[in-house]
Amino acid sequence: MKQRRVAVTGMGVVAPLGNSSEELFENLGAGRSGVHRLADSQARGMRSPIGAPVNFDGGAHFPEPRLRMLDRVSQLALVAAGQAIADARLAFAGERRERCGVFVGSALGGAATTEEGYHTLYAGRSDRIQPYSVLNAMTNAPASWIGIDHGLSGPILTYSTACSSSAVALGEAARRIKCGEVDVMLAGGAEAPLVFGVLRAWEAMRTLATEDPQDPSASCRPFSRTRTGLVLGEGAAFAVLEEWDHAVARGAPIHAELSGYGLTSDVTHITRPTAAGQANAMRAALDSAILDPNDVDYINAHGTGTLQNDAVETAAIKAVFGERAYSIPVSSTKSMHGHLLGAAGALEFVIAVMCLKRAAVPPTMHLNSPDPACDLDYVAGKARHGISVRAVMSNSFAFGGTNAVLIAKGIGPH
Amino acid sequence: MSTLDTLADILVRDYGVAREQATSDATLATLKIDSLSLLELMFKIEDRYGVKIAGDTPTDLVTVNDVVRYIDELIARRPKLRAGGATEVPGGK
Repeated sequence: MKQRRVAVTGMGVVAPLGNSSEELFENLGAGRSGVHRLADSQARGMRSPIGAPVNFDGGAHFPEPRLRMLDRVSQLALVAAGQAIADARLAFAGERRERCGVFVGSALGGAATTEEGYHTLYAGRSDRIQPYSVLNAMTNAPASWIGIDHGLSGPILTYSTACSSSAVALGEAARRIKCGEVDVMLAGGAEAPLVFGVLRAWEAMRTLATEDPQDPSASCRPFSRTRTGLVLGEGAAFAVLEEWDHAVARGAPIHAELSGYGLTSDVTHITRPTAAGQANAMRAALDSAILDPNDVDYINAHGTGTLQNDAVETAAIKAVFGERAYSIPVSSTKSMHGHLLGAAGALEFVIAVMCLKRAAVPPTMHLNSPDPACDLDYVAGKARHGISVRAVMSNSFAFGGTNAVLIAKGIGPH
Repeated sequence: MSTLDTLADILVRDYGVAREQATSDATLATLKIDSLSLLELMFKIEDRYGVKIAGDTPTDLVTVNDVVRYIDELIARRPKLRAGGATEVPGGK
């Protein structure tokens, strides 16, 4: 039987630095940062009141009655998913809808709704909680709404594996297509964590970057000796994944092939990553893509900017790629768009696919002081254009230990 | 302003109902007011009239007029206001 392949036919993004994949990639290429000081209502009392917000007003996309039933995380998801569908020029009317599904990754779900409800109760403002609270806050709301809006009646699932959630959603969706169960999947992630309680909880964990006193936008410095942690961001990113022949038959634009997915778990500690677990996920992704280390021309690193992650990820890349590790451009775009948690994997997968399409790779910004433990080519400070990019790897590693790695191949004549 | 006018204003402003549809004999179902929307609407009514709904909102409200009658009953049972505007405490002086 012929092996089924997975085409990426549409991409949609609502993110810091861009509300389309093109705008985002252009800003990343220019080394711009989406990290800013946050409003007092979000971050009062924080030592480093910074984050990477999205320029997005739900009211511009949804009428008031609808808006009240959508937490910001669902609003972001619906708009990004709609973009991806439009980009794929997909009209579901002609599809067998039970063979179309939605897989979404989100770590926190409707955080603002949860916070609003608790604030109402605990601060004694009222003893009434909004009746939509449960429906707005539940982590599977974004996936369900996408399915409802587009009438997709195949599998609709939500994956919550912290920072690798949406990489898992994409990988699992690709598997469902490969195994023949479905033909079209909308897969991605959404996160809206820039609310007071969530920000303070992350601050309490001592993983957030210290604000740069000269330039707050340069606070996230992955792979730098001076790195102090991650910066939280919000947003959503989606891809339309489609069985290859199905995409070709309808004349769809094909951006890339999602050819590899590796999934492993660190089972040693709830936060501490292991190079072995990460390396095994990268190897599994290469195996499933039937590629060897020499075929990969770019790695979008997990690259959070925490002390632990960047050194361990570097060691894992070296364990997998050997000498070749030193000649592959590796960048952490989180230095610019921040860490979108459950949406990070999907956003960075879209960025990696853009690298294939544009034959260019974005930089790691604010890497001004090399760390001896991080000695790869991180594309420091400046994007590279006009290079050969045949296949790309996107790494996502999570608290809780779920390591997910995606590989996409270009469709050009390589 | 009548209770119907007030309710119609809320339906138009917050629930996307067209003004000409917000009539007393319209059913909540045709206005796409489901049970959760009705519950939320009752919060607005509580705030607007300073009334308190004890227990659950009744489930037998079918038309806009049913809601109007229910609100009017709540208003009729509302504790009387003193001249200063403070709510009279039942059983107090």
